[in-house]
Amino acid sequence: MRRLKLILVLGGVIALLASVGVAWATTGATTGYPQPKNVVPVTVQAPFENRYVLTAVGSGAGIRSGEMKFEFEEGSSPQFLVGISQFYVYSPTGEIETSLFTFYPPKALPNGKGLSFTALKIGASATYGQLTHAGELRLFNPEGETVKGELRLHGGGPWPVEFKVLGEEERYTASPPPARQIHEAEPNNPGWGGEPAEYIGSYELTNGAEDPTAKAGTLGPVIGVAQGLGVRGAVVSGGSMQVKGNPAVATVEIETGGTTRTFTLTKLAWQGDQRVAQVHDEGPDSPPVGRFEGTGGQGEVRGDLVSGHSVYKVAFKLER
Amino acid sequence: MKTKFRFFASLLVLVAAGALVAAGCGGGGSTSGGGDGDFVSGAEAACTNANKQIAALGTPQQDQVTGYLEETEAVIEKLHREVAALDGSGAAEVAYTEGLAKAIPELTKMSNAARSENFDAVRELSAGLVRIRLGELAEAAHLESCAEVPTGES
Repeated sequence: MRRLKLILVLGGVIALLASVGVAWATTGATTGYPQPKNVVPVTVQAPFENRYVLTAVGSGAGIRSGEMKFEFEEGSSPQFLVGISQFYVYSPTGEIETSLFTFYPPKALPNGKGLSFTALKIGASATYGQLTHAGELRLFNPEGETVKGELRLHGGGPWPVEFKVLGEEERYTASPPPARQIHEAEPNNPGWGGEPAEYIGSYELTNGAEDPTAKAGTLGPVIGVAQGLGVRGAVVSGGSMQVKGNPAVATVEIETGGTTRTFTLTKLAWQGDQRVAQVHDEGPDSPPVGRFEGTGGQGEVRGDLVSGHSVYKVAFKLER
Repeated sequence: MKTKFRFFASLLVLVAAGALVAAGCGGGGSTSGGGDGDFVSGAEAACTNANKQIAALGTPQQDQVTGYLEETEAVIEKLHREVAALDGSGAAEVAYTEGLAKAIPELTKMSNAARSENFDAVRELSAGLVRIRLGELAEAAHLESCAEVPTGES
């Protein structure tokens, strides 16, 4: 049954892909999406049925530009909207990659503010496991030709987004123009606390899970590799962190699936309970491969360590 | 006549007793978890070889994951063929062989997801491999090398 649902949804996705963007054909039917459990009045959804171009986005999302389309699922009763987007995102190495998302099902935001949708990431071809939960898109009620909202992806955000409605005949022959980057207030105090004594030292990992490779025999390494992948948080079974120097640099060791990975964190900064840093995988002088974002204080640091396509959820405690 | 009959009767008893002794010593296959000698030595050799190949693959970078999964899949397929050919008959031996067989379609799905750069799916699908608990199955079949996790470069 789940397989059937997946096939149906993929059918819809493919149909939508054919309808959204530049290089794709004009309009296409959206079919195959199951009727959502929550019914949102058509009058609430109708103002969002449009094609859009991304005009502004929070810089933390790493999105350069994008297009989006919402249309009613063909033949649905009661009617419901399904969305598709093509975002051009900055990869950790600075290259631009294409990222496809579908937005389904719609839910009404409290106090009639607009709609929210689950963001589902689409893989490159319609094979098993191609739709994965990636976050949430909130769209506030349109103001003229502008729709503002919030986007959460891969455990990050929310980032502000702003879309402009595209005219019926408005098409881009190449990727859409770059969206304005909205810079959020970043922590900018050096280190991870007011005094070095608050954060310098050795840390132990406090959120380690059972090592999934321990009883896997010959399959252990492949499980280890797989468990370290993905944007929804790799399974971390052990680790440690050393913070030293001025400016402070953190060396993080993470055990994931029987493999130990070492990262170097530079540009440590804090503001209130926010803790951020730049992530390198081959020493402090190597190019950054990601970012650490989290919270901390009183000898504890917890958050997401992003390296390329992998996200490690870590919690460390300073050993006194 | 009586002597002749006694001779044949004694011969018959001896033949029957010999057959019983042979049956008792020959074993007629391994028992559950007991571990057939030929199966154990054959499977251990196959696992040692497979473990070496897997260890040699090291830890791939993101852009090498598809190749890594395809190569692992090939190693496990070969290991399964070799172990299945040993025709283990004990329950633990059969369970280990079946564990290898179950791993192959899981690895195929993971390779497919990696080809589409759906790394979340690769990670989620790996739960299927974890559930097989191949190392435990190997331990139950007294396969020490098969129970070991190959150590690669980090």
